[in-house]
Amino acid sequence: MGVGTGRFAAPLGISVGLDPSLPMMEVARGRGVLCVRGVAERLPFRDGPFDLLLMVTVDFLLRDKAAAFREAARVLAPGGSIVVGFIDRDSPLARRYEGEKGWVEGKKGKKGEKEGRKGMRGKDQAGFYGDARFLSPEEMAALLEGAGFWELAFAQTLFSQPEEMTSLQPPIPGYGRGSFVVVRGERL
Amino acid sequence: MKRDLMEILACPVCKGDLDLAVFEEKDEEILTGKLCCRGCGESYPIEDGIPNMLPPELREEMAR
Repeated sequence: MGVGTGRFAAPLGISVGLDPSLPMMEVARGRGVLCVRGVAERLPFRDGPFDLLLMVTVDFLLRDKAAAFREAARVLAPGGSIVVGFIDRDSPLARRYEGEKGWVEGKKGKKGEKEGRKGMRGKDQAGFYGDARFLSPEEMAALLEGAGFWELAFAQTLFSQPEEMTSLQPPIPGYGRGSFVVVRGERL
Repeated sequence: MKRDLMEILACPVCKGDLDLAVFEEKDEEILTGKLCCRGCGESYPIEDGIPNMLPPELREEMAR
């Protein structure tokens, strides 16, 4: 969900990708991901064909987060898993990105644009991005549980600013220390 | 897109089953075509091998 260029989906072996952005999906397709153009809030899939759904740094781009997570639960088979990677709202990285609005708004020439989500919602939607914000792990948990996911398990990494990192930082369980948090939930 | 994808695709609006019309196919890859919903009658184009399953009201807004 929100496969973008397939940067995470391809190395993780995700077979099908969904995104509203055609230019990004053309890159994902080149990485071997089957692409479907669409939005998370109204998934173009039947009930239950998937056993795993991955969503990485997508949450803050969703117009209706609750609808997107409900749809995620619908397309997963019972016992299937959702894995959500997100930037913790209360982390140094979130504060930094929120200070650099260009990252999420995709304004011309701002730092980080190429890894941002420019053009995903069309250029008249800059206001939406301006309002976009990251979630706390508690807020993410509430969204997942509200959509019917349980047995949530958290892990975290990115314990310093990216430019200060000189080696891989292995993940540790839980949240509260790393800027990047991953949560896995099982569909009831 | 591959024909296999039909096994998982549904209408984003009503989740109904889709009928596939193929206009252009090469090496088992559908390049252009159309997906029509049996439930609500909405249709979705397949362009350059990627099915455009955006809900109709978002199609124009998210035009490339």
